[in-house]
Parts: sequence; C-alpha cells; structure tokens
Amino acid sequence: MKKTMIAMACWALLPLAAQEIKLPPNLEKLADKAHEVVDVTMDGALLQLAARFLSDKDPDEARIKKLVSGLKGIYVKSFEFENRGEYQESDLEPLRAQLKAPGWSRIVGVRSKRSGENAEVYLRSDNGGITGLAVIAAEPKELTIVQIIGPLQPEDLRDLGGHFGIPRVDVGRKNGKEE
Amino acid sequence: MNEPMDDLERQLVDALQRKEPSAGFEQRVLTAASRNVANRNKLPTWFGMPRLRWAAALAMPLVLIVAVEIRREAAERAAGEAAKARLQLALKITGEKLRKIQDQVNAGQDQ
Amino acid sequence: MVFSIAFHFLRERTLAEEIAQDVFLQLFRSLGSLESEAHVTFWLRKVTSNRCVDCVRKRQRRPEVALEDTAELRNQETPSDPLLSRKLQTLLQSLPVKPRLVMILRYQEDLGPDEIARVLDMPVRTVKSHLHRSLAMLRGKMERSMGRA
Repeated sequence: MKKTMIAMACWALLPLAAQEIKLPPNLEKLADKAHEVVDVTMDGALLQLAARFLSDKDPDEARIKKLVSGLKGIYVKSFEFENRGEYQESDLEPLRAQLKAPGWSRIVGVRSKRSGENAEVYLRSDNGGITGLAVIAAEPKELTIVQIIGPLQPEDLRDLGGHFGIPRVDVGRKNGKEE
Repeated sequence: MNEPMDDLERQLVDALQRKEPSAGFEQRVLTAASRNVANRNKLPTWFGMPRLRWAAALAMPLVLIVAVEIRREAAERAAGEAAKARLQLALKITGEKLRKIQDQVNAGQDQ
Repeated sequence: MVFSIAFHFLRERTLAEEIAQDVFLQLFRSLGSLESEAHVTFWLRKVTSNRCVDCVRKRQRRPEVALEDTAELRNQETPSDPLLSRKLQTLLQSLPVKPRLVMILRYQEDLGPDEIARVLDMPVRTVKSHLHRSLAMLRGKMERSMGRA
C-alpha cells in the first residue's frame, strides 16, 4: 500500500497542555493504515511566525492575520484510506468524551446513513466568548479532526467565508438534525 | 576580464591593493550595530544579550557575522514561509469540512 | 573591501571609515532583504559607491591626498613600487567621480565592465568608455611626469 505521509510538522516536544483535545492513541495509529496523512500542528509561537509572513496588503491574508493573532493553537489531523472500514465509530468515542468537558458544546451534528458520513462541530465558550472550535468529520474513507484553540469571534468565521476555504458559519442557528 | 593587462594596469592593481581600516574598526561597527538596530526586541540573542554584542565582545570577524546573519535570516524566512503554508493548509481543510457540514445542514433543512 | 573602496576614492582614512561604518550599519538593517553572500557583496559595492559619490557631491571640492594618513594604513601586501603606487593613487584623484569609481572597481575589485555596470547602474559602453579614457589620461600623465624626471 502506497502511503504518502505529508508530515507538515514534527512537534513531538510541544507541551500537551497547548493542545486542548488530545488525539487518542488508537486514532494516532490510524496513520499506519492511511494512504495519506495530513498533520498540521501549530502552537502560538508558530502561528505568530506564520502571521509575520502574511501580507497586510492582501485583504484575505490580513483577515487571517487578525484571526490568528490571539490564537493559541491550530491542530489538523486528516487520514485518507484506500478502503472503507479502516476505523470504527467507536474509535471516536474517547475523542468525543473529551469534548464533553465543561465549556465544550456540540453545536452541529450531521449524520447521513446513505453516504456513511458523520460530522460534528463543537465550540468551547468561556465568559460568553468563544475560546475553541473542534470539528470531527468522519467519512467512510476519510477522517478529519480539527482543533482551533483561542479567542474566536463568530464574525471572524463568517467573514472568512470563501477565503482560505473557510465558509460562512452561522454559529447561532439551531438546526433540525442537532441532538 | 580575460585580456592580459599592460604594465600600467598591473601597476594600478598594485596601487589599488585593498587597504585595512584602523585597528578596532570591526568592534566599533558591531557595537554601533547592536546599539542602532531599530527593534531591539527582535534582535537574536545568545543568553539574553543581543548576538551582535556578543560578536563585538568576541571580536568575531565582521565577514563571519554577516555570513551567519544572512543564513539566519534566510533560515527564518524559509521557516516563516513554511509556517504560512501550513497555516493556509490547516485553514483550507477546516473550511472544506465546515462548508460540507453547512451544505449537509442546509440540505436537511430544505427537506 | 568597503573601507578600501572608500579610501581609494577619497584618500582620507577617517572619512573612509565613517562611510564604511555607515554602510555596515545599513547592511545589518537590510540583511532581511539580501538572499546570499554574493548578493551582499554586490550590495556592499553598490552602496559604498553611492555613498562615496554622495560624499564628494556634498563636499563639492576636489579631495586632497592626506599623505600622512596613507602612511599609517595596513596593506595586505606591500606594493612593489611604493612611489609609483602613490603617484598613481594621486593621479586617480584627478579623475572625475564616476570614472574614478570605475577604475577602483576594475583594478581593486577585479570586476569586469558588465559587473561594474550593474554595480554603478550605468551602461556597459559608458563603463568601457570611462576605462579607456581614464587609462589614456593616466598613461599620458605618467609619461609626462617620467619625462620631466
């Protein structure tokens, strides 16, 4: 099985406290089964370094710069598999358990039996403000987990609609599929 | 230039041999540089002291300092561009997933 | 290199050191925009040349040779004929600003006309013209002074 590992960073020495939600070992091991892995781990210092190279003159980059200015971390792990069934729904339970900690709320849950896709969006709030975002996107041949830690404004996410691929997200709206 | 030089030209090469500045010149430059660099908070440091001051204290050759600083700046630029690329990838993936979720939510509401 | 270009241009050690210090301070501020050591060398020659021209224009007088200064300088090597060298150095001072710089970049830095043209931001044919005329002038003056001797 041809495996293409795209390791964008190797930050094994990062303090775990910087990453709020820890990827359970069983999910880490999915890298061995995946034919492609994207692993982006950026703590505050690395985000600030990246921000220095974002242009103030480009409107999109300027918005991103403003967004990341207060963030403590961005963590993205995405596994792509050749075949279905390389991971189980139960493998995600330790992750979901962490997202039941105080402060975290699931604001969106979408499940499709037809396509086998299951996606959830969680927000962490503190004193009325958003301090974290987590996304679990589970598809038959792909699993993606995203964490953004740090102060986020709803309009930050909305304003970035269409830029750098972040769509307008209306975090205040309830939906019929939400549990 | 590959053309052979005539006598006058060879004499000019002789007369224009490189001259050295007075003793202590490099130290004065490095000391002035470490004082005058605009943003001291961004000066790279060794053990808390600006690197240029260390160099002045150690009387490192100016050419070595310049070479080291070029490599450091180039490395920092490379690291910064790589970090920017990683950030853009992370946000792109996040956006794709959120957009897909949004579409699924909207599709469910339309039904 | 920097000090030497300034010194051979101005023939004043103190002023040459001031220019050299300014150039290096500017270099440290500009390091972020320089991409390689070759780029730095080019940049140093260019900025030093510009500073020399600016210095002369500000002073607006022919630079005088400070012979007592030259005696204190350290050479990397001893010229084979110190008196002849000093004569040539003096004659170089009689050249106008741009031809003088061209001669220094050619015979101190061993740059070709194309490289000199890039450093001084002038057409190659102008560089060649300066070289040709300056050599002719120096040759004539040297022959006349030897003839008198």
